[in-house]
Amino acid sequence: MAIPEYERLTWAVVHCRGVLHTAHGANLVRTLATAGMVAGKESYYYMRYDDSPERDNVPMIFYAVMGDPKVDVVLHEEVEPVGKLFDAVVVMDSSLLLHRTSQRALILDGTKEDAVLVVNTSLPPERVLEIVGERQLAHDWRGSLVNIRARTYDPEIAYPLLGALAKAWNGIRIEDIIGALELLGKGEKASVVEEAYRDAEPIRVFLRAGERALGRLELPEARGWWDLETYRAYQAAAAGARTYEERMMAMPRWEVLAPGLIEFGPTPGEKNIGFTTSFERYLRPKVDKGKCTDCKLCYHYCPDGAMGFEAIVDLNYCTGCGICAEVCPVKAITMVGEWEAEKGLREEELLTIEEALREYMY
Amino acid sequence: MSAVTARPVQTLIPKTKIWTGTRAIAEAVKIADVDVIAAYPIRPYTGVMNELARMISDGEFSAEIIVADSEHSQFEIAKHASAVGARTFVGSSGVGLLYAAEAITVTALAQLPVVALAGCRALDDPGNFGMEWNDTLVFRDFGWLVSWAKDAQEALDMTLVAYRVSEDRRVLLPHFVAVDGAAITHIASPVTPPDERIEGFLPPYKPPYPLDPEYGPVTKAQHIAPSLIGPEQRKVVDASMKRSREVIEEAWRDFSRRVERSYPPFLESAYMDDAELAIVTMGAYTKDAVYVAKKLRGRGERVGVVRLRYWRPYPAQELRESLEDVKGIAVLDFSYSFGSPDMGGAFYNELRAALCEASQKPLILDFLFAGGREPNVGHFEKAVEITKRAVKRGRPDRLVYWLTLRGEDI
Ligand code: SF4
Ligand code: SF4
Repeated sequence: MAIPEYERLTWAVVHCRGVLHTAHGANLVRTLATAGMVAGKESYYYMRYDDSPERDNVPMIFYAVMGDPKVDVVLHEEVEPVGKLFDAVVVMDSSLLLHRTSQRALILDGTKEDAVLVVNTSLPPERVLEIVGERQLAHDWRGSLVNIRARTYDPEIAYPLLGALAKAWNGIRIEDIIGALELLGKGEKASVVEEAYRDAEPIRVFLRAGERALGRLELPEARGWWDLETYRAYQAAAAGARTYEERMMAMPRWEVLAPGLIEFGPTPGEKNIGFTTSFERYLRPKVDKGKCTDCKLCYHYCPDGAMGFEAIVDLNYCTGCGICAEVCPVKAITMVGEWEAEKGLREEELLTIEEALREYMY
Repeated sequence: MSAVTARPVQTLIPKTKIWTGTRAIAEAVKIADVDVIAAYPIRPYTGVMNELARMISDGEFSAEIIVADSEHSQFEIAKHASAVGARTFVGSSGVGLLYAAEAITVTALAQLPVVALAGCRALDDPGNFGMEWNDTLVFRDFGWLVSWAKDAQEALDMTLVAYRVSEDRRVLLPHFVAVDGAAITHIASPVTPPDERIEGFLPPYKPPYPLDPEYGPVTKAQHIAPSLIGPEQRKVVDASMKRSREVIEEAWRDFSRRVERSYPPFLESAYMDDAELAIVTMGAYTKDAVYVAKKLRGRGERVGVVRLRYWRPYPAQELRESLEDVKGIAVLDFSYSFGSPDMGGAFYNELRAALCEASQKPLILDFLFAGGREPNVGHFEKAVEITKRAVKRGRPDRLVYWLTLRGEDI
């Protein structure tokens, strides 16, 4: 259900990973909102409140939202977008494009059709478009894309990303970003923003969602009192939902809930479909069976029960934490980038933990 | 692209910051130069604790910050520090507040002017971060003042005014500043901190009888003597609560002189002259309610908004006056109270009780946003629409609506 009030506002959304990017994401939206204020707009910024930025690598989302003298900002803490809201999307880690977000929605869900996408990546634009077309479209997209290798400009990646964003998007002017940096005591970052602005080369994009576009879910009638079968059907629909709208549709009606905060299952051997973790991963363990001595240490140390007794990883539950690789006495486990594992491509623009700003805003 | 020239922003917007509610409240604590802060984490309150810890470690001001082992200890620390004469700040959210309940009640009876942030949060399907008012509303009966901010700016201002009111010798009661979790605590919005005119607004805290040998021996909140058991102890608090009304009015008058904002003390209203329908609410969603009223006014509908700024003392007389001529009231209510009169929320039923003495009785409908799921302007418009229809027919179909519910609203 679209609510026109929210669509009239100007929205930017930043996808990033907990701890690695928490402060970077906050810097980006803070600067953006301040730039909006410099431009005379009523401006807000915030983190998606249900995300857990204190947990390593968990996908998280920041928003900046601006009204203007003619458009009131109506408050909406953006848990689930209603309608086509977002004008600009920034992705701080390209591996986020491989999976749905922590909300099990698509990166380009909730966006306007002409949205601008900025990706921090060493990958060529065609590969980014390919994966977006394959996995992230909720509807047709006729916007623009700009790829930038942010870290090559500055370890504080928010600033080069802002430069690229300003180039591709008419929602904010670079002068106002420079003004915002002054106000925030970050004047020294102006040259980084300008340099990235100069170099950025946005390309026009037209991707069709085709049959991936939003469908209707088939859900059983609620029969006035809970039963296991109906509950399971909702659970499966929620886990399989591809957009916010589908996810909301799949949320059980109260009649479907068993009394007393009950979740059913899983029975042994079954997957808990509501709790898979692939979106948390930008690296995954790869086991070299030739080196493995079958000592079972990785099995015992894996905090998520994702490493099997025979050193086979269950990618539904592996969070990519790297503990197994750390404890393996014969170095039989290496951590491989998700892009490399899935598509044979190397992503050079991953932040290291040393480059994460160890600030915590919330 | 040639060189970019920055605009002289400093002269454009000299004072406004974009701060989260938690940051804004922490700034107020700094301005109040609080002596003792007791901390224990729970979202959304945690944000204030983080901001204060950062400010203290950056040397922005100095205070004892004590991280307790639980919310109960946290409120005990604030209580005792206040008893020896420290200005204190504490706070919590959701089940954290309820765990501290014993310390919270005694703080009021001991008449210690502790100021606490209540960052409203649902009670508690484990992990429910949503916003509901119940965690704070349960403390309505014990002698705490409770004010309710509508945004980060007002959260800052209210925190300062809370110290002034609480510490006034006519009052000497603890004070909750309630802010809607997430909607205020975690959204950064424009805030203008007070300037040097705030100097002198808050005199130093001097308790009349501190627990300090220098002022002579006193015992505080001792085991009560059998001869003293009775209504007298309660009456002392009752009298303080009654006197707090004039102190609140004075404080906001003085505060408004020192900043470029003016606040009515108890009720804020918008579009209420000639209104036939009123939305009554508190907190962050007032902004959306005002937006809805403005939109409906554009279509010629006479809709206004009334917001309570204080829940204790409850502005009953002001509400009766302001709602005198309306025919229908849509209550936007983020509290529930299972089994209550007509199964309405705690906020709703208290409003009904206050309007029971009104000369004209409007239709009052409860729109209950329970469970922490966020409503949007669409829901608020629908609430007004339902109320309008009920007024037209002269009777409501029902009194309580759950508009964000999935499933049948039985
Ligand atoms: S990286 Fe290794 S230890 Fe960590 S969750 Fe995956 S399998 Fe388990
Ligand atoms: S820790 Fe290394 S050697 Fe031991 S079972 Fe696991 S992969 Fe094999």
